[in-house]
Amino acid sequence: MIDAANADRWIRWLNTIQLVLAGALIMAPTVWMVLSSFKPSFEVTAYPPTLVFSPTLENYVELTRTTPFLSYALNSLIVTVGSTALGLLFGIPAAFAVSWTRITWPAILTLAARMAPGTLFLLPWYVMFRQIGMIGSYTALILSHAVITLPIVIWVLLPSFDAIPRSVFEAAQVDGCSVSRILWRIAMPLVASGIAVSAILAFVFSWNYFLFALVLSNGDTKTLIAAAFNFIGEGSTQWGALMAAATLIALPPLVLAALVQRWLVSGLTLGAVKG
Amino acid sequence: MSDTAAPLTQDRQKLEMAALSAPGVLFTVAMIAFPVVYTIWLGFQTFSSTGKQSFAGLANYSKLISDVEFWHGLWITIALFVLSLVLQLVFGVWLALVLFHARRLPGIVRSLFISPFMMPPVVAGMMWLVILDPSLGAANYILQSFGLPPSDWLASPTWVIPTVALIDSWQWTPYVALIVLGGLQSLPPSVYEAAQIDGASPLKTFQRITLPLLLPTIVTAAILRSVDLLRFFDIIYITTQGGPGNASNTLNIYGFRVGFEFFNIGYASALMLTLTAVVFGAVLAFNRLRGAVAW
Amino acid sequence: MKARMLATHVALPVLVIAASGQAHAADFDWMKFKGKTITFLANNNPVAQALLTYKADFEKLTGMTLKVDGYQEQQMRQRLVTVMNANSDEVDVFMTLPSREGEQFAAAGWYGDLTAMAKNDVAKDYDPNGLSQALLKAATFNGKLTSMPMNLEGPIFYYRTDIFKKCGLEAPKTIKDVEAAAEKIKACDSTVTPFVSRGLKPAVAYTFSNMLHNIGGTYIAGGKSNLCSAKGKEALDTYSRLLRDFGPPGVVNYSFQQISALYRSGRAAMAFESSNELRTVMEGGARLKDTGLMPFPAGEAGQVPTTIGWGMAVSSHSKQPDAAWYFVQWATSPEVQKKMALQGIAPPRPSVAKDPEYRKWIDEEPVRKEWQAALDVLATKGSSEVGYPIVANPQSREFIGQAVQDLILKQKPIDQACADADKALDALIALN
Repeated sequence: MIDAANADRWIRWLNTIQLVLAGALIMAPTVWMVLSSFKPSFEVTAYPPTLVFSPTLENYVELTRTTPFLSYALNSLIVTVGSTALGLLFGIPAAFAVSWTRITWPAILTLAARMAPGTLFLLPWYVMFRQIGMIGSYTALILSHAVITLPIVIWVLLPSFDAIPRSVFEAAQVDGCSVSRILWRIAMPLVASGIAVSAILAFVFSWNYFLFALVLSNGDTKTLIAAAFNFIGEGSTQWGALMAAATLIALPPLVLAALVQRWLVSGLTLGAVKG
Repeated sequence: MSDTAAPLTQDRQKLEMAALSAPGVLFTVAMIAFPVVYTIWLGFQTFSSTGKQSFAGLANYSKLISDVEFWHGLWITIALFVLSLVLQLVFGVWLALVLFHARRLPGIVRSLFISPFMMPPVVAGMMWLVILDPSLGAANYILQSFGLPPSDWLASPTWVIPTVALIDSWQWTPYVALIVLGGLQSLPPSVYEAAQIDGASPLKTFQRITLPLLLPTIVTAAILRSVDLLRFFDIIYITTQGGPGNASNTLNIYGFRVGFEFFNIGYASALMLTLTAVVFGAVLAFNRLRGAVAW
Repeated sequence: MKARMLATHVALPVLVIAASGQAHAADFDWMKFKGKTITFLANNNPVAQALLTYKADFEKLTGMTLKVDGYQEQQMRQRLVTVMNANSDEVDVFMTLPSREGEQFAAAGWYGDLTAMAKNDVAKDYDPNGLSQALLKAATFNGKLTSMPMNLEGPIFYYRTDIFKKCGLEAPKTIKDVEAAAEKIKACDSTVTPFVSRGLKPAVAYTFSNMLHNIGGTYIAGGKSNLCSAKGKEALDTYSRLLRDFGPPGVVNYSFQQISALYRSGRAAMAFESSNELRTVMEGGARLKDTGLMPFPAGEAGQVPTTIGWGMAVSSHSKQPDAAWYFVQWATSPEVQKKMALQGIAPPRPSVAKDPEYRKWIDEEPVRKEWQAALDVLATKGSSEVGYPIVANPQSREFIGQAVQDLILKQKPIDQACADADKALDALIALN
């Protein structure tokens, strides 16, 4: 028994070391980015790199002064929430159907949009949406971004649905439940953590995607990510402002992830159903 | 259940299933049908410098086959893909395990662990451009502090692809970890209990039990990463623009330049469709694998 | 040769514009298109940013509404290409860089013809003659004027006067002086990179062209690519040698961001980079007192600096080109360009450059004086040729950059590098 206890402690020690190591490697560049956002632009590229410096808010001030940051953020939010919602709405039932019937082609079809380079869609979509006068509308942006979120939702949820034993569904069918009822009442609660993961991923992908917004938005509906590009240009590369913009842009997904943590960890596991 | 009732329920079930996938399928088709057909059509045209367009049959495709740049681009794309995928899958699973056993970690810290992929690619590119600058960046500074030789990183024709793979892996390993973590959490604990009773070591448990059960999730992560890795664009666009020389000229970058900078839309369409076919092939292959490792 | 060509071709348009301009000055009405909305696709660089600070002035003057869509340069181009390929009338006015895409866009028929409007539909004080003739010529394709110049820019030579003094060097007067200075600085101060310029493949042509012209080389001779000529090889050799032996590690990825950062942080003695980067280089004030500026030192053919500028063009698909022209006219008028000049945008009008208010701003700092002096040379002696003067100009830059990179990375001997480039470029020239 002593061996087991020792081994246990060893393992926990090892895990902690790995955790710290991984954390340092993963977060160091992000920390650098956030710190740089509080440095004046020229100090971001100073050499040797400075860890100690007097922080300044000038980048954030400049950012909010020169770009309609809040309005861009709102646009991004509308488009991202819309496309994530659409992705979940269409994706959850589709993933369920694919998982149950083991007929995969619908999932592969939705992934097709992610197989082609994004630039393939630029001209045709511009032509399409221009014909119906929807350039610059939130709808066009939401629809185009949903083409990205849908496959993510489906493919992230597939293994979660696959992991539910068939017996659960068969039991429900014997009880005379319709398929949609089974999905809504039984399957979805079981894959809650999968839904949370797919929602976060869909949100992040849509939030950071600039290519479609480049041609489908106009001045009023421009998304936040376009603002990030504005700080890199001949005669105007403002590292500090870029880092500040980056920090602000990365905040909403991070906040969302932190909020959804609960479901990531404590989703009902199958253990509860093994009865 | 009588015999007459069973087939009715089955057909009814099939219909209901179809109704569940229909919205997603119809939506996708509605959105991508025109672009795909249009691009295929464009691939059969040539455009003169004055924009005059003429039917060219398979000319663009035969040009593609004899284009050294294309084959080089394909090689670069595949090399980058394999290198990145292996790194991300291996370290993704490792990170997922580490996070799984650190369940008492506060949510905020956990979300910081998965934060890199939340960063917009343009920002990640600019950031690493500075960090990896041979003269101005922290990377060489750190290397030299430890007495190690500095590297040209992104400016070296030999090391640019491994460096890009490292940058991408820094960003996307947490993404893989997140997906695998979801899979870990849905594993039935009963299996672990059985293993513990049998006195199996952690390594053995992982090897014999956890890993096989995780394979479907890992393959899913591989599929999701593959579609993005094979179309690698953002980081390279921001940092090296395909250089030095053509050392990081992936097919997507090449196709983009041909279309948007050299205005050869016909050839660019052919390139993009070929790339799509490559990705499609990879997805089909992985999907086979997914079926093979299902429980 | 090229410089002389510029001078002779310039005379004609000057006379033509002058003759008819005065006849119609009297009946010009700024409010003619009141109530209309113009959409402007802008490159979000300092030029546009300076212009747009006066957006309200334009709207008040003309009663028109101005919708602005601003993007970073490459994004803007992508959007423009998509909009124009779709034959859409969404954009009325856009910013363009004739030295790069002029021939390409003109061949594609994307530019509205401004020749007549610049002659006949102008306000009294517009003074179309006052715009840099070189830039106007560079924006004329097949006899049609395609855009009006907004600013003047080009690569200039930044150098550390203090390091030069320390190493016993005078300011370089010729390219050979630059090479000698680089060698001496390398020996005299090992902490600093002697020379830095562009090595990133698509960016090389910008600075390399200047050196080629100074040496007296040409890109095309007798209808064929001329990089393997004696002068072509000399330019390739000199440029790549300076970067390879005296440049920073990783220079093959270097464009304006890294060059400015390196020079600003004090780690480079000589930098050959765009005049636009002055503000970036002076950020933080560290380089304010120890920087000298000049056009790139002379070669055998003297100083033929590269001079380019952004222009405002009217889209050929625009449904309201006349109203759009009013915006273009306002934006490139002497009054507005003077205001922009006070914000640091080098004007494409010699008259503005001489304006007392502007000179006062210039005289505030010695670096500004030298900067403007360099730009004056660019305005008078400059050539707009960056890359090959063909429709496929952007693509030609790739091959020029490839040749230079082959030499910097020692991947090919010079004869092979220039031959490979020439072969590819001949194919491009043939497409013209």
